[in-house]
Amino acid sequence: MKETLQSRGSTAVRTRFFKRYGKYLYLLPAAVWIVGVVGYPVTRAFFFSFFDYNPLRADRTFVGLENYVRILQDPVFQKAMINSAIWTFGCVFFQVVFGLIGAVLLNQRFRGRGGIRGLTLIPWATPSVLAAMMWMWILDGNYGLLNDVLKRTGIIELPIPWFSQTTTALPALMLIDVWQGIPFFAVMLLAALQQVPGDLLEAAKLDGAGPWKIFWSVVFPLITPTLLITTVLRIVWTASYMDLMMVVTQGGPAYATLPIPLSAYYTAYSELAFGEAMAKATVQALLLLLFVLVYLRLFRRRGAVDDVQ
Amino acid sequence: MKKMVGAIGGTRKAWILLLIVAFLLGACSSGSQSGQSGQGSPSPSASSPSASLPAAGGQKVTIDYWYWVDDAQNDTIAQLIDKFNAEHPDIQVVGRLVPFNEFQQTLINAYASNDLPDASRFKDWWVGQFAENNLLEPLDGYIQNLEYKDDIDEPFWKTGKTADPNSPVYMMPHQYITFYLYYRKDLFEQAGLNPPRTFDDFLNAAIKLTDPAKGQYGFAYRGGGGGQDQWYAFMLAGGARMLDENGNVIINNAKGVEVNQWYLDLVKKHKVAPPTAASDSYAQILAGFQAGTTAMMAHHIGSYETLYQTHGDKLGVVPTPQADPNNPATMGTMTGNVLFATSDQKDAAWTFLAWLSGPEATDILSKSTNGQLPVLKSLTDKPEYRERNEGWKVALESERFAITGPPLEGVGKIAGSVWKENNDLALFGQITSQQMMDAIAQALKE
Repeated sequence: MKETLQSRGSTAVRTRFFKRYGKYLYLLPAAVWIVGVVGYPVTRAFFFSFFDYNPLRADRTFVGLENYVRILQDPVFQKAMINSAIWTFGCVFFQVVFGLIGAVLLNQRFRGRGGIRGLTLIPWATPSVLAAMMWMWILDGNYGLLNDVLKRTGIIELPIPWFSQTTTALPALMLIDVWQGIPFFAVMLLAALQQVPGDLLEAAKLDGAGPWKIFWSVVFPLITPTLLITTVLRIVWTASYMDLMMVVTQGGPAYATLPIPLSAYYTAYSELAFGEAMAKATVQALLLLLFVLVYLRLFRRRGAVDDVQ
Repeated sequence: MKKMVGAIGGTRKAWILLLIVAFLLGACSSGSQSGQSGQGSPSPSASSPSASLPAAGGQKVTIDYWYWVDDAQNDTIAQLIDKFNAEHPDIQVVGRLVPFNEFQQTLINAYASNDLPDASRFKDWWVGQFAENNLLEPLDGYIQNLEYKDDIDEPFWKTGKTADPNSPVYMMPHQYITFYLYYRKDLFEQAGLNPPRTFDDFLNAAIKLTDPAKGQYGFAYRGGGGGQDQWYAFMLAGGARMLDENGNVIINNAKGVEVNQWYLDLVKKHKVAPPTAASDSYAQILAGFQAGTTAMMAHHIGSYETLYQTHGDKLGVVPTPQADPNNPATMGTMTGNVLFATSDQKDAAWTFLAWLSGPEATDILSKSTNGQLPVLKSLTDKPEYRERNEGWKVALESERFAITGPPLEGVGKIAGSVWKENNDLALFGQITSQQMMDAIAQALKE
């Protein structure tokens, strides 16, 4: 009897234990994976940002915050921070605006809608390097398609070297990224638009609201959560993206297209100053962390996290 | 509510725990990596040629060899590896093709993760960077027994050494490039110009052949990636040098500043280059010269076949124009092969490198589209090389006055980003020629 009670007691403890901590056991494989492939490199990079570290040398010296002080006082890094801000917010702003317009248009009923919806995804599906090469020749300063069209239409007399002027290089790169990113917003927002209940729209129409009023008062509030989450996600992606600059302008001319990630890359692999490069990457990560926190808050507000809990 | 707070508290605890684990992993691993780095930086004394013997126990030895190719359509190096493997049953070379633009970065990452190959193709401007950190195996012990060592001239051996006067050879010289000038014979004839031999000839021709209204420019200025090679060829031809005979950095002396200003003025003052010059890389200057947008382009034999296919007999080649034709100079750059000090199969790896750099393999490679000037006199003396085409002829003639970049760690930085960044700033008037040269001198001194 005593044994049975003891056995029941231990089973109850085990049950309570699993009830309380079982969910963490289920999460453990994923957590170990995340710690290994994300947590480990990130913390390692953060750790090295306090060192004078050349990867080809065995020794490294602890320098405290020296790397951070140096990069924050460096006018080139300050320029890179400004470039990153213009690049990120500029690209995402135009992608949101044109993506929203695209989503509204694709939500209309017209012949061949399915085909058009598929075709709009092509820029998004095009590999970045391929898109970069294609646009390099479209915007080429000597024989580019755009210059040719502008010349033939009499808008310009001499071709414009889009990637070779400090004033046009960053906007030209932004044009490529905007072109590539619009379909992402268009598709995400289209999905949100399709979730808007038809009876709500019908009711608004019966109440005498016009299409403009219906969009801003009924549709837009309903798609706002999706819009905010995709915007925050896209901000994080765009800020970390440096393939275009690397392939097309290498950060030039005169640092006009040098964002923080490319600056960190050159510091790491050209100057072999890994410590300083890690400090640059950490600054970028901290800035992006703000957006990640916004994302998590938005995500939680939508109820997804609470639902899981 | 209490339950919810508990759950949130539990989530927080879990996050904190994960962060601590990740941080400890990062810190611990970096400590152990540091230790391994120390062990993995062998002293030169650990590099005797008999450190390891291939197939000592009758087993097949596997060698990792990394390489790049200039012409991705051509797989001659892969074929050579297969040929070596077929002829050497006791050694298996496993080749890995790495794009050139990522090569140095891949090697650095490989070293950081203790995963360097046994041997690899290498550029002379990386020798200082890697040798000064004891990552390359000194090859003198191997070379003294090399049967064709006298077939390679002393200047070529020097390209595999560091700036230290007592430096051993770290890189086995293999294939060489000398910079020269392509010009359009037809455009020169129409303008009544002779092929440019001097700086004055060159500038005069560039000005005459420039007409922006027609989209026509005299010279393909390479301000984008890789432009430092073209710049250095003209700096040398103008009489500027990176180091004096005592090894002091003199690129920022009056001569260096003057020649650099002359070079910058091709774009800034004379405007003889396309307006895209600041960002033009190899693809753009090649396309411009092929399309007839530019009348002159500085490059090497790597582009001869492509340009000859486009222009045929209209393609002319002359040595890099000189400020003082009595003291000519141009840029040379060596592609060789190295053994990494971390390899535990050095003898077998050397067997492969010695074979790859030997007359038979070099002959095969040099005749492919990935071929450059062989360093073996027995090959370059042959009429089939001397008379192969105008490009080869001028390139081989230029060998006697070609100068390579000094084997300093800073040369890698200049090639990586320092030149490009400062050339941009100078072209856009944000710094002077003196400031640009000071920045380059600083990189060389670091």
